[in-house]
Amino acid sequence: MVSETQQATVTRPQIRVQNAVKSFSGRVVVDIDDLMLGDQPIEGLIGPNGAGKTTLMRMIMHSTPLDSGTITLFNANGGGDVVISNLPTHWMAPHGLVKSNQVIMDFDNLTILDSMLLAVSTARYEKPYRIFDEPRLYADSVERMNEYMEYFDLGDPMRIAGSAGEKKLLDIIRCLLLEPKFLMLDEPTAGLPEEVTEKVVGLIRKLADEGTSVVIVEHDLNVIWNLCDEVHFMAEGSVVLHGSPEEIRQNSTVVEKYLGEGHV
Amino acid sequence: MNLEWLDAFLISGLFSVVVIIGLALLLHLQLGLTRIANFGVVGFFGIGMYSFGVMFTKVDWPFGDLPAFLISLAFGTLVAGLSGLLVGWLIADLDEDGVLVGTLGFATVVFILATTEQDLTGGALGLGGLKFPYDVGTVKADEFLWLIIVSIVVSLIFLYVWWVHRTPYGRLLIATGGNEPLARSLGKATFRTKLWLFAVGSAGMGLIGALFGVMERFLAPENLGIDVTLAAMVALVIGGTARAWGAVIGGFLIFGFFDIIVQSYIPFPKEWYGQAIPNAKLIVEGLVLMGVLLFRPLGILGAMQRDKLMRRVHG
Repeated sequence: MVSETQQATVTRPQIRVQNAVKSFSGRVVVDIDDLMLGDQPIEGLIGPNGAGKTTLMRMIMHSTPLDSGTITLFNANGGGDVVISNLPTHWMAPHGLVKSNQVIMDFDNLTILDSMLLAVSTARYEKPYRIFDEPRLYADSVERMNEYMEYFDLGDPMRIAGSAGEKKLLDIIRCLLLEPKFLMLDEPTAGLPEEVTEKVVGLIRKLADEGTSVVIVEHDLNVIWNLCDEVHFMAEGSVVLHGSPEEIRQNSTVVEKYLGEGHV
Repeated sequence: MNLEWLDAFLISGLFSVVVIIGLALLLHLQLGLTRIANFGVVGFFGIGMYSFGVMFTKVDWPFGDLPAFLISLAFGTLVAGLSGLLVGWLIADLDEDGVLVGTLGFATVVFILATTEQDLTGGALGLGGLKFPYDVGTVKADEFLWLIIVSIVVSLIFLYVWWVHRTPYGRLLIATGGNEPLARSLGKATFRTKLWLFAVGSAGMGLIGALFGVMERFLAPENLGIDVTLAAMVALVIGGTARAWGAVIGGFLIFGFFDIIVQSYIPFPKEWYGQAIPNAKLIVEGLVLMGVLLFRPLGILGAMQRDKLMRRVHG
């Protein structure tokens, strides 16, 4: 009985974007009146190239500052509500808000193991005078890291990630190791082979089942239709439609602006 | 202590090599790991040296030499650290050109202050009155002991810098230097990391400057030329910016080789020592630098090799 009540009151972290505007050299790229993300466990964000999907995600992370507007994180890390549009980027991850990168990003000199340890390590470990903490950090996290290494069959972690696909995967693993409460994925499966894509999709589902809110930008629409509980359609800087995957893929505007007649 | 076997040139030659290695090690943290190209090394070195010197000689200390010496040393280090904090705050978010101009500008400001603030620094005439905090008999013995003390300080700096590669903090520095936006997205406060590294590194450079000033006994603005910055940078680049040993190997190879072996032990005709050898030294140093950059751009020791290190640490 108790657990049922708890189940009913569990709320996922949500993000509300209000009156958010961003323009580059006078051209308005994102202009959103009011958008709520995280109502459903997994939400998709789709739209044609240049619609502002990536910029919107970057605005939420504050890696692209807003021209105006407010972004609020509800139930941040199980706590209250926080206006995040004025907070620095590095505040986000420790409070459960994490985003993967669209373009391939890696650290020049760091091995896969380094990358993973960097993700799991907190500011507490990273003080200049804490010089004997490495063994503890490793011991505390080796199991979790090995799980991902084995799940994705990555082999030896003590080497620099080689291929673009491997770097992309490592980016996602870093995000997962941060134990996100609200995870944004920007084209997570672009450039990954099909069997790896399936593994990534499997992990996203598991994460959402465990209570994480996931928002995913993806051009592989099969991933969107199969994975998402709700889809937001973006065009010319604003979200013009929300709905279930079925509603969206049959909507005439979406078909006309994005999918093309053949897709339906 | 009988030091007849010891050449006075050898002491001063080794001393400058040790000082350059110390500066290059601190630069390794800033440039090699975190990619902050600090071209103002001599500024922090100089502000530490002068703050120490002015404090030690101008204040009428009510107690003995040793406490006064140690307090002045701490003061010089602190002033260098605080100026590092200020300069770091100004430059930490700038691009490479901005960092270069900002740090070079700071070094110039320190040089000008040392020249113009005559009441404090003695201006171009210099500031005398510095001495060792002990007296073991002869000048040579005093200098030899000072060489040992400063070598111990630089060895401790080396141990820390070498070990830091094996800590989460070192990984944070490398990540910040390698891809700052990515590090930030993983929750790392990169601005603060760079700021504190810069401040603490600058404090270390100030300490080394003060220790250098004691050996000189007489502080003059000509100690604050860009050649100090370049010496540290050349030593590090030749040895390998990404490796802790790079600073040591580069320092010994370039400055140890010329300043000690060529200048003191090869029997060139006496008249060469006036102009020919110092000039030849600059030319050969420049050629070696060019050669290394052309054929081994990462320095003699090459790349960072985290894979081997991780295998050693966690293998």
